Amino acid sequence: MTNPTDPLLRYRPWKGELNPPVYASLAMARSSLRLLFRRKVFWALYALALMIFFFFFYAQYLVVWIQQQAASQTVSVGAVPVRLSELTKFLDKLNLNGSPHTFGNFIWFEGHIVMIVLAFAGAVLVGNDFHHGSLPFYLSKPIGRRHYVLGKLLGIGAFINLMTTIPALALFLQAGLLYEWKSYYVDNFPVLLGILAYGLLLTVVLSLLMVATSVWVRRTVPLIMIWSGVFILGRTVANFLVEVQNFSPLWRLVDLWNDLYLIGLWFLQADFGSNNLGSNPEPWQAAIVVTVLCLACLLYLRKRIQAVEIVS
Amino acid sequence: MSTAVPPSTAPLLLLEQVSKWYGPVLSLNQVTLELNAGITGLVGPNGSGKSTLIKLATGLIAPSLGRVTVRGRDASDWRTRHSIGYCPDHDAFYEDMSGREFVRAMAKLNGFAPRDVTDRSEAVLDRVGMVERADRKLRGYSKGMRQRIKLAQALLHDPELLILDEPLSGIDPLGRQEMLELFHELAGQGKCLLISSHELEELEKLTSHVAILSRGRIAAVGTLQQIRGLLDDYPMTVRVALDDPKELAKHLLGIDGVIGFDFDDTGRGLIIRARSPERFFAGFQTLILDKGIEVREMEPLDDSAHAILGYLLGGSGKT
Repeated sequence: MTNPTDPLLRYRPWKGELNPPVYASLAMARSSLRLLFRRKVFWALYALALMIFFFFFYAQYLVVWIQQQAASQTVSVGAVPVRLSELTKFLDKLNLNGSPHTFGNFIWFEGHIVMIVLAFAGAVLVGNDFHHGSLPFYLSKPIGRRHYVLGKLLGIGAFINLMTTIPALALFLQAGLLYEWKSYYVDNFPVLLGILAYGLLLTVVLSLLMVATSVWVRRTVPLIMIWSGVFILGRTVANFLVEVQNFSPLWRLVDLWNDLYLIGLWFLQADFGSNNLGSNPEPWQAAIVVTVLCLACLLYLRKRIQAVEIVS
Repeated sequence: MSTAVPPSTAPLLLLEQVSKWYGPVLSLNQVTLELNAGITGLVGPNGSGKSTLIKLATGLIAPSLGRVTVRGRDASDWRTRHSIGYCPDHDAFYEDMSGREFVRAMAKLNGFAPRDVTDRSEAVLDRVGMVERADRKLRGYSKGMRQRIKLAQALLHDPELLILDEPLSGIDPLGRQEMLELFHELAGQGKCLLISSHELEELEKLTSHVAILSRGRIAAVGTLQQIRGLLDDYPMTVRVALDDPKELAKHLLGIDGVIGFDFDDTGRGLIIRARSPERFFAGFQTLILDKGIEVREMEPLDDSAHAILGYLLGGSGKT
């Protein structure tokens, strides 16, 4: 049976107007997100990220509740009476009290999941465009190379924020409800801005690094090796040099994830003396390293994406 | 803000003295080519510069020297690509996507508003005969189905200039016929189609206008007959079948342009070699009318694209 709308779907000359290319960047970002969430193997990592969030969520609730409601009470563990506040001592390192360190620590842990997903997804999101030569499909459309890069960065940035900034904002909201909410939100407004700034920092740095490394090596295995080198080997080397060889703490700058953490805590206006951060470089020094890295990525992308003819 | 393509009377595709180097390798050498409405075949052997010319025309690469414009606007300007539809040779897709999803994604890249994406995607899928099969994953598509999907995404925005790299490769005979009809129809709407193909027989069915590339240069542009006529060093060969070949042979050498002839194996035909096809055919027509010679069949033996390419490029004309 013929559908009455069928004739409307027949190919005919296009008379309408088209949107500017920034819409194409948004479409690319949506496609990237769909690709990330379509891969079933990543859902185990998303589940792990969710578990970290719930751990922080309920632990923060528990710690604050005990502090406020039952700090002086005791419970019996076996035959030994233990103060309730002592039971949550092991959580002290995480600062689960709605302070800047709470959100810094949360993003620190969630960031590991983000890094793993990005290391595995880089080839799918960006590398394949170069490896299989799909770039002509994109660049034969009315978009420029910068719109292509913007689309990819937006997609990856949205993913990073879904995994870090948005859950951190949820924790901030929860922390306010655990205390006297009006004064908490007013007093900690800079923390809210810090969370957003930390998220923006991760978005910019990880997106650029991800696109640049994916354009460079293209395949999943080398990409994982590069990211492992940057984030795991960098950390190991930094620890070895500073803690074993007693080199200057400036050597910790080779640990990119730590650099991001330090800048993030700076944004959150966290107290650097309260969380064993003494043997670290200054945040501004970390900021210089991260800025140089971002500029290097941008210069590489500019050069590489202009050189599409050699690839294809 | 929306972008619209300004109407223009400038040539649809114009390459002016274009050269392109890849490092020390000269891929295109001072190529000048102007195309307007109609179908033009782009032929040449591997490494002749076809792919480079196509990438220059689509603005994917910039020339080292010279200028490439589409309707007067530089081809590397992203706005120019409102006028260009490109169907690449290779088919590198996101294999997890279905054909429909891929075409829709390309429609969004073209800048179609969300409300138009579905209508336009369905329209082009229908036009290339893929509506029924569009929900299958791309990884399960045959070569021919991939070609159709690539063509669909190139047609989305109704471009004036369609650049098709090996569009018939892998398509079954029935599908080829449909594609050829589609190309004719698009050309009939005033569009310009630049089709690169190794399949010269199919290309000849589509158009007689070709641009022949050899070693980075345009060896010839025009209809096959025009190009054939210019090949003075290679006399045209025509087979004439008739009842009394000896009678015709007596008068043949008097025709302007004829340089020789042989009787064919059957004894009921002549194979004539002549320069300047125009003068030969005019003189031959006058002769048979004046002498009342009855010709049953007349067949040029070497004005096919293969033969012309063979003469121009050497070898068999295989591209």
